[in-house]
Amino acid sequence: MDTKRPTALTCERMAPLVDDFVDDRLDPAAREQLDSHLAGCESCRRMADDLREIRRGTRALPTHAPRPEVWARIAGQLAAQTPARSRTFWTGARVAMAMAAVMVLSVVTSVVVLRGPRPETQPTTPAQTAPAQTAAAAVHPSAPATVKDVDEHLRIADANYQQAITGLEKIVTSEQAALDPAVAATLQKNMGIIDQAIRESRAAIKSQPTSQLAQTSLFDALRQKVALLEDTIALINVMRKGDQAGAAKIIGGLSKS
Amino acid sequence: MITSNKTEADRTDRDLAARCRRGEMVAFEELYRRHSGRLYNVAYRMTGSAADAEDLLQDVFLQVYRRIDSYRGDAALGTWLYRLAVNACLDHLRSHQGRQRKATDFIDDVEGLEPVASPSWQPDRALDRIDLESAISRLPPSYRTAFVLHDVEGHEHREVADMLGIAEGTSKSLLHKARVRLRAFLRGGPADEARRPAAASTTAGADGRRGER
Repeated sequence: MDTKRPTALTCERMAPLVDDFVDDRLDPAAREQLDSHLAGCESCRRMADDLREIRRGTRALPTHAPRPEVWARIAGQLAAQTPARSRTFWTGARVAMAMAAVMVLSVVTSVVVLRGPRPETQPTTPAQTAPAQTAAAAVHPSAPATVKDVDEHLRIADANYQQAITGLEKIVTSEQAALDPAVAATLQKNMGIIDQAIRESRAAIKSQPTSQLAQTSLFDALRQKVALLEDTIALINVMRKGDQAGAAKIIGGLSKS
Repeated sequence: MITSNKTEADRTDRDLAARCRRGEMVAFEELYRRHSGRLYNVAYRMTGSAADAEDLLQDVFLQVYRRIDSYRGDAALGTWLYRLAVNACLDHLRSHQGRQRKATDFIDDVEGLEPVASPSWQPDRALDRIDLESAISRLPPSYRTAFVLHDVEGHEHREVADMLGIAEGTSKSLLHKARVRLRAFLRGGPADEARRPAAASTTAGADGRRGER
């Protein structure tokens, strides 16, 4: 109960000070004034304590991040709407994308090697990696890049992505029984979103073959598909080993991506 | 140091905006990478739904792409982006008002409020995060906007006022009401917001914004 009942006016005048108190913005004189009031007014003291606790709780709230698919969707939509830009302007970025595709292939090879020998499902044989090496040499930044060269490199990059995806999909298809059905359903849903982005980007490229925006969105979506397939294979591996902690970690990462 | 970093960030933003105006997709993607996280977080806290927040983020950046020519650099790019995002969130909430929200969400003068479902916040106990999130989701949109921008995102009242197109005093008033309303949700009992008079000059509409600038 209140030991000393302050006037309503005093409480009313204190209210703005309570907000500044909660935000640590009170100057010493105002702080003294507030402390003096709170010492005699239980109602305001409870209010101040509660608002400080709410402020503390709010600061501790987790932050959230959008999934990468959102960018793929945005890029896909823009690609469908935007006229083609200057080809020469995009040359550097497009070469970079082509290089990224080549790097994906090497990642796929690593995944398969780490996973162990399963010749029937390996997506890359020495014969198959040869074009990738050719592509890698062809898109080296020091090489002169004409528009024709870049188009050819992009075609190779797209083919490399497809090759990587096909290989990873074979592994996932043959091993997916190891996955929990709920997890498998989530993965399938995410894959559906990425596939939609890929379809939209390809449709945009078909209608506007020179649209760099469409190409950017296509390669974004392809990169995401490879990443999701890699995560899926990693998850299958740890679940087979009974590594619950490892599985939880990967699933946690999937829910954020 | 913070000011220096902020100045540098503003300069980078202005450069990116200029490059976006010239149609550089790489710059637009960089702009997205720099700002999408915070805008998504605002949308998530405003709507309480990850799916809605993603849809809104997509809509906002499609708007940004279309309207980047209208950004003249008179405010920080971040402020402009927040303004677009908050307006999109408020439009979204308004469109769902009749279908999903209680009518009281848009009424300020509520005498007494039921606490959130089974609040675990009792005297001398720590505030439960789920209870707090539930209470935030029940705030009227104008209160929620000021609360999210100030208390969750950490903006100053001056910045919040700029983003919402309202007076600084209005931002303070909305925040105070939001905090008191949250307390009422979490503790039960009256929403004692009458202690603080509304700002003398309130330019905000009923939903807490004056409009895009």
